Order: sequence, then structure tokens, then C-alpha cells
Amino acid sequence: METGKLIQQLGKHKGTSNSSALRSNVGCISVTPEASSAFFTALKEDFAFDHCSLISAVDNQSGFELVYHFSIVGESGQMLEVHVDLPRDTPTIDSITHLWGGADWHEREAYDLMGIYFIGHPDLKRVLLPDGFAGHPLRKDYVYEIHEEEW
Amino acid sequence: MAEMWIHMGPQHPMTHGLWNLRIKVDGETITDAVPELGYLHRSVEKIGERRKYFMNTTLTDRLCYASAMTWTHCYCLTVEELMGVETPQRAKYIRTIVLELQRIASHLMWLGAYLPDLGLITGFLYGMRDREMFLNLLEIPSGGRLLYNYVRIGGVKRDLPPGFAAKAERVMQTLEQRLKEYEDLYDNSKIFRMRTDDVGCYSASDAINWGITGPNLRSAGVAFDLRQADSYDAYPELDFTPVTTSASDGISDCFSRYRQRIDEMYQSMDLIRQALAKMPEGEVMADSVPVRASGEAFRRTEDSRGEALMYLVGDGTDRPYRWKIRSPMFTTVSASPHFLKGYKVADVPAIMGSIDMCIGETDK
Amino acid sequence: MTSLYEWSYWFCEAWLVPLLTPLLYFQEHIMPPFSNPAGDLARWMESDPGLNVLAWSIVVNVALMIGFTNVIIVVYLERKIAGRIMDRRGPMLSFNSLKEIASDLAGSVPEYNWKTTTYAGIGILQNVADGIKFFCKEMIVPAKADRLLYTIGPVIFISSSILLLILVPFSPRIAASSAPLGLLVVMAAFSIAPIGVLTTGWACNNKYTLIGGMRSAAQLMAYEIPLLLSMAGVFLVAGSFSPMDIVAQQQDASQFGIPMWNVIPQFIGFIVFMVCILAEVERIPFDLPEAEAELVEGWTTEIGGLRLGLTFAAEYIRGFVGAMIATVLFLGGWAGPFLPGEIWFLIKVYGILIFFIILRWSVPRIRTDQILLLGWKRLLPLSLLNLAIAILFVEVF
Repeated sequence: METGKLIQQLGKHKGTSNSSALRSNVGCISVTPEASSAFFTALKEDFAFDHCSLISAVDNQSGFELVYHFSIVGESGQMLEVHVDLPRDTPTIDSITHLWGGADWHEREAYDLMGIYFIGHPDLKRVLLPDGFAGHPLRKDYVYEIHEEEW
Repeated sequence: MAEMWIHMGPQHPMTHGLWNLRIKVDGETITDAVPELGYLHRSVEKIGERRKYFMNTTLTDRLCYASAMTWTHCYCLTVEELMGVETPQRAKYIRTIVLELQRIASHLMWLGAYLPDLGLITGFLYGMRDREMFLNLLEIPSGGRLLYNYVRIGGVKRDLPPGFAAKAERVMQTLEQRLKEYEDLYDNSKIFRMRTDDVGCYSASDAINWGITGPNLRSAGVAFDLRQADSYDAYPELDFTPVTTSASDGISDCFSRYRQRIDEMYQSMDLIRQALAKMPEGEVMADSVPVRASGEAFRRTEDSRGEALMYLVGDGTDRPYRWKIRSPMFTTVSASPHFLKGYKVADVPAIMGSIDMCIGETDK
Repeated sequence: MTSLYEWSYWFCEAWLVPLLTPLLYFQEHIMPPFSNPAGDLARWMESDPGLNVLAWSIVVNVALMIGFTNVIIVVYLERKIAGRIMDRRGPMLSFNSLKEIASDLAGSVPEYNWKTTTYAGIGILQNVADGIKFFCKEMIVPAKADRLLYTIGPVIFISSSILLLILVPFSPRIAASSAPLGLLVVMAAFSIAPIGVLTTGWACNNKYTLIGGMRSAAQLMAYEIPLLLSMAGVFLVAGSFSPMDIVAQQQDASQFGIPMWNVIPQFIGFIVFMVCILAEVERIPFDLPEAEAELVEGWTTEIGGLRLGLTFAAEYIRGFVGAMIATVLFLGGWAGPFLPGEIWFLIKVYGILIFFIILRWSVPRIRTDQILLLGWKRLLPLSLLNLAIAILFVEVF
């Protein structure tokens, strides 16, 4: 599917905004956290985005921004970048692990380093840092302290 | 029989690097597996936020010790996208050549590391011996043998010296002969086939869902290669189609993964020859490279191990505001319990070796 | 003088005891009110059981020396051949390099020169260096190990392997023993070792060693039966268990002036025997009990120091004895023209050992279920077939 047409069709979904084309085969769209679950299900089932490349969490000082990169495994290499803004005090969103198995550890990493809570994730615990580590170090307000415990 | 947990790692011959695989065994059959990471976590993304854009190439070199060039290249490509820098045409060709040389070196290191996993230590020496030739080649333009820092934002550090093409051709001819020998030694070996055939199987649809990419996905018969699907550098001007193998229709096993990497080495040599023949003259570095950047950008490249994706957010200063790395092995390891279950303890090194673990990029 | 045992019995009777006993008798009444056991000892030494024990201790020491000399040579060959297969040189440490090492250790290294500082040699001293390393290491018992069994396990393994050496003859002249049951006793001694392996594997309180010990037991059980069945064919043809008779029979059964060694009529048996003996001595491709890729070092993971060194030596002794039995059974033993029998025997044994070594460095390791499948489903029927052929051979000719 052509990127322009794809963006147009996706823009009709509830809660979407700011749809644009970044490159010839890369689209970009924003979605609200409330509408994200239905949007991602449609993305997987209607638009055949079968590969979840990456979930990045960005600390925008005012809030958090989750950036999803989805792609289609095929010759077109079609990609879609989805932005979801989360409030700073309750950074929660529905998990997409049941749709894309590969999102499992990306969500765990976002929880580990940025403190985003994914509702419905089967095993949401730290993946890179040890259990019991205090804080989420990639947040901009994280203050590094020397910990007495041995890891 | 009672089940028990066995820790394979963090210090274990099976783990190429520092990680831990806990497996639950019933007798010798695996019933559950839990990979655990973090022993080599260096927080590259956090360190990168404090350093200027051009400084981070030293960090990306150290992401994967077996494939330093491809990771630095992915970072430089992303920064160029963010800053809007146009790379000169000759630099694009040089990048293509060194990337493919690095891919062969990485695959040879995999081959060398895989055979001791199956119990043949001789294979290690053979793999390292051949990798040495490619390290010598990469040393010629970059001066480094493991960490190159050769690909820079806006081009490459310096031009290829005269006579490089002839040297590369000689090395590639040697490797072609050696690969034929390896096919005799491994493909026709009954024991090698017994250990790798129908071991660690997964289907193409499962692999796509789990986020497995690169050679591990193409070994299931999926012709998905980012060099072609999301093309960069000189790849659009070269003539190639992704190589695929599969054990049976849409199923990947250890042997097809082995076969896939051998075939990719042949393909890489073909690409190097094409690029050397078509290479234009000119500059190898962009005229001016900005220091500050704002906005956001991402690029993905075909790393030696799969899809490498970097996402950069700039806030108008000379340092990245957020830098996120997608490591292909990170997702592949997360899927490993699925294709470990049901096999024997002795298959663990065979399976985990065949997906080409590199813990440096996995732990970031 | 048919065996080493008889020679040492004669040596004790004629020389050792007559020289020692006067000293002991002299001590007996040196303090009259107190009895001194020295005289009892002397009388026991003069008796038949005492001479027996003395003779056996000489035999065992000679066997140990022969065994360890051969271990050094086999380890050296293994390293050199492995090096050549891997496209490298292998160990290079030899007497010539000692001077350079000494000057390095003294700290008086002149200007370092790649051309002269080579340490180059044939590499035989590498084994000495390894031996010194094993001697110097501390023997650590893991905190939660079963101390008694942990100590006994390697002892069973090592001593049963050394016992093998005195049961197989080199030639009619150099033979430690000539037991009438001959090779059957060797196979009995061969099957003691799994007890030691299983004991150690359990006693170390480590999951790798436990799995290694279990694998070893399963593997040796599966391969014991085809091994004995493939040997049974030879025993049938020779009509004896004694190595002397088996070798003599092979020499006698010549066709067209060529001695028909058992390898020709019983080729299937030879193949089965070689595969089984490889599994029995646990070398690649059948070294599952110490598969270093998944089980770290298998059942020897927790063993260290001299115990580990002697365990390695015992494994090589087992390989050596395996090659000796194969030579006696199938390759005509010490028979051969021109050269003395011992030389012929060693040539054949080392031929088989070099074959083992080359095999070890050119094939990967097989898997647990596959090795059992191979043992029960392939080798057992083949050995039965070989036995049938041997029976036919005996009945018809």
C-alpha cells in the first residue's frame, strides 16, 4: 500500500492525529493512549503490520512519549511510526504483547529504564537492570547515586 | 522423574558472552527456559546523551565486538538523516564494501564459534584463521582490527588505498576455496547433520511474530533483507536478491541457519566485487557536517545479525536528547524459550549457537 | 620366563628376599625381653604369599611406568596432530627453550628479538609443564560435596584404569600376567570405571557432574553388550580367552601364505568393536560425559589438582588399552615379519591411536539420545550378525 493512502486510512481511526509521511515508505501518526489498543489491533489485523521493530520511550520533561516502529515483512519495507503521549504521573498503556510477541522485551526494557507500565503484560519486570534497582535511570530527573548494595 | 533447574551462565562455555540461561530439565529434555540479561549492560543510551554526536561513534563500535563496522554505520546513517547530510557517492560505495567485509568477518567468527558448540574445536581455528584475512583487509583503510571508527558522520575517514581491490580479490578467492572445503567437512558430515537437522525449529510466521530478523528469519525461507527492502548507501545500485534457505517449507532449523550464513558469505563476496567494479571517483567526506540537530529520525540497516534500528531525538543542542537502539539479538533471545522447549540439554549450545548471539549489542 | 610376573617372582625369590631377610632376622632378637615383629615379616616374605605380594608390587610399578610413558607419548602425539589438523604448530616447548625461559624468569631480558626468542623445539616438555601444573594445584573439596565419595570416586576410576595395564600383554615375553580368562578379565576391569564416574558425579553436588555421571552410566551400559558380542566372535574362532592363543590362532589361520588376521573375516566385528571401544573410552565423537559445550567439564567439573591430572592420564590409559585389545583381537597382535614382536605391537597400537586422534579433531560430538539409539539399534544387531558369521566360519572350516 502506498504511504499516503495508508496514512489517510489510518487517520480515520478514533484518537489519531498528526499523520504525515516521513519518507517514501515510512508513515508517521499520533494516537491517544485510550484509543491505542483498538488502533494497534487494527494495525495488526487490517493493515498487516506483522513486525514490531522497536518501542522507544522518550522523556519529554512534561510527559512521556512512546514511539512504536512497526513494519511489514516484505519487499516494500513499509514502516509506520506511532507516537503515543503519556502523562507524567501515570505512565500506563495497554500492552501489545498479545499482538506482537517480539514486543515483549521491548516493553520490559521501557519499564526497566523509563518506568512505563504496560497493562496486560505477562511478565513485566526488569530485564537489563537487576531486580530491586531503585528508580528508572533513563528518566531525565533520575539522580545517579552510588548504591551500597552489590549487584 | 523430578525436574530441576540448570543455570547455563553467566560463566559457561555455551554463553558466548556474559548472560545467563536458566533451563528446566526433565531428565535431559528441556521443559522451560528463562534467558536473563544485564551482566554486560553498559547503559550506552544514557552515556550517549552526554556526548556530542560525533563522539558516539566510539560507543557504537563497542556495541558488538564481532561486527563493529555495521553498528557505527547504522548510527552515522541515522545522524545523517537527522541532520540532513548528504554522503558523497564514493563514500557510499566504500561503506558498502567495508560493511560486506565486516559481515563476512562476523559470519566467519560465528562459524568458528559454532563448531566448538557441537564439539569440534578444529572449526574454531579454521574460522578464526579465515577471519584474520578479512581483519587484515579492514585494517588497510581503517587502521583498526576490532574497533574501526572508520565510518563517520558524512562519509568515511579516509579513501581506500590503491591496490585494495586486488588484495580483496585475492582474499575472496582464498575464502571461496576454503568455503568449499568447509562444505565438504560439515555439510557432508553425518554427525554434523545429526546434530543440526530438525533441531531448534521455528516457522516463518512465528519468527516474524517474535521479532526474529536477519539471517535467522531468512533461514526460514522469508526473503526479507533490509539492504533491499529499506535500501541505503550503494545497495540500490547493486544487483542482488536476498538469499534464503529453509529446512522444509517455511521452517528454520540449525542446519538451515548454518547454510544461510555460508550462502550470505558468497553473496557478500559478490556484492563486494560489484561495488569495487562500479565505484566512482570523488570525495569520501561531506563538505560540511553540522554539529547541532533537532527533530527526530530513525534508520534501520541490515546488521550481520538482523535488523538494527536507531532512533534519535535531537533538541537543538550538539548532543542527542534521546538515543534508542534496536538490537536484533535482544528480541531473538527473548524468543529463545519457544524454540528451546522439547529439545535435549545437548541441543542448547547447538540452538543458541546457531542464532549467532552477540551479548555486547544485546545488553547495550 | 613367560611373563613379567614370573620374572619378578624369580627376582624376589633369588635376589630380593635373600638380601633383605638377614637384616630382619638380625633385628629379631636384638632386645631379648621384647618380641620384635621383624622376624615374622621375614618369614612371611620367604613364604609363597609374601613372594607373591612382592612380585605383584614390582609388576604393578613396571606397568605404571610403561603406562605413564605411553600416556606422555600419546598426549604429545595428540597435541601435535591436533595442531597440524588445525593448521597450527602445536606445543613448541623443549629443552632448547629452557635457557630462554630461565633468562626471562631471571628478569634479565636483553633487547627483545622476535628472531632469536622463539622457544622453538619439538614440544615434548609441554607435558612436563602440565604435570608440574597439576602437582602444584591445591586439591579443593567443594563445601557441600560428600567428602568420602568425592575422594573415592576418582580413585576407583584411576586405579581400575591402571589395573587394565597389567592385564594385557605386549608380547609373550613382556606380559604382566597370563590369566586363563585373559581378555574377559580386561572387560570386567573396564566396566568398573562407570561406578567411579557415577559416584563422583553424584558426590560433587553439582548438576553438571550429576548429568555427566548419568550419561556415562547410560552410555557404557549401552555399549558394553555389543562390545562383548563383537569380541565373542573372536573368542569363538580362537576357542580361548587368552591373548596368546588368540594371536597364535590368527597367525595359524593363513590363506594363500597371507596370515588371515581377524580383521578380514570378521570385518563387521572390527568396525563394531572400534566404535564401541571409542564409546567405552569416552573420546569424541562419544565424549558426552564430559561434553564441554553444555556440561562445562562433565563429571570432572569439580575435580581439581592432581586428581584431575591423574583422571586425564587414566582416560588416556584407557584409550591405550582399548587400542591394545583391538590389536590383539583383530590385527594379529605382536605378529609380524623382521622386527621384534614388541615393536610390531606398538606400531599397530599407535596406528589405532593416531586414527582415534585424527577422528577426535575432525568430527563433532554426537547427542545423548542418538548415541543410545546407535548402540541399541545399529551396533547390537551388527554384532549379532558378526557372531553368526563367526559361528559359520567355525562350523564350515
